[in-house]
Amino acid sequence: MNSVGEACTDLKREYDQCFNRWFAEKFLKGDRSGDPCTETFRRYQRCVQKAIKEKDIPVDGVDFMGPNKDKPES
Amino acid sequence: MKIWSTEHVFSYPWETVIKAAMRKYPNPMNPNVVGVDVLDRSLDAEGRLHSHRLLSTEWGLPGIVRAILGTNHTQTYVKEHSIVDPEEKKMELCSTNITLTNLISVDERLLYRPHPDNPDVTVLTQEAIITVKGVSLSSYLEGMMARRMSANARKGWDAIEWIIQNSERENVPLCDIY
Repeated sequence: MNSVGEACTDLKREYDQCFNRWFAEKFLKGDRSGDPCTETFRRYQRCVQKAIKEKDIPVDGVDFMGPNKDKPES
Repeated sequence: MKIWSTEHVFSYPWETVIKAAMRKYPNPMNPNVVGVDVLDRSLDAEGRLHSHRLLSTEWGLPGIVRAILGTNHTQTYVKEHSIVDPEEKKMELCSTNITLTNLISVDERLLYRPHPDNPDVTVLTQEAIITVKGVSLSSYLEGMMARRMSANARKGWDAIEWIIQNSERENVPLCDIY
């Protein structure tokens, strides 16, 4: 699966692999020991946030957990 | 406004289903999802995992629909918030489009829980509210969107099953003679 920012796809895959392993082998088994993915996530995020700005994707200002929230027009 | 809801049972335990749900894309049944990114992820005070993700989708709206809506956009963005509660065995996802919001609003909620009568299977409850704005034929378009969502929901269930089956295959050796 690609990232929304094409240049970030490799970083995304690296992070996803780390996360999926932690999720299945630690988190779901009740292991609350540290998150091994913070570094890869940071690198990946730097790239994604840049891509979001460049593409002008309106990620902010939409708060929700449930429907019926007013959204900014775009 | 159109409200649509459905329920589906997966013949797999909850942990298996949500591991697949977290890795849902890419899959052959949802080719319209072309990009997925995690924007934020954290554990809350109750030990639940929150994820905020951005999905980019190619809706493939028929030309006539695009003409009615007055848009040539083909790629739309969806923001998704999910909460995984490993103690309560609950995974909840809420998503909403963040582009084309002046034209249409699709809010979707998915809830994965073990079946109350059988802990070895998982129930997915899925609901959506669809609102097409400021356009005549809005109820027609909403009806069409609801039908499309039904079709996509079915594909989504197949996608989860596909992910589960392909992961299982990875872990099972082909021959027992090693």
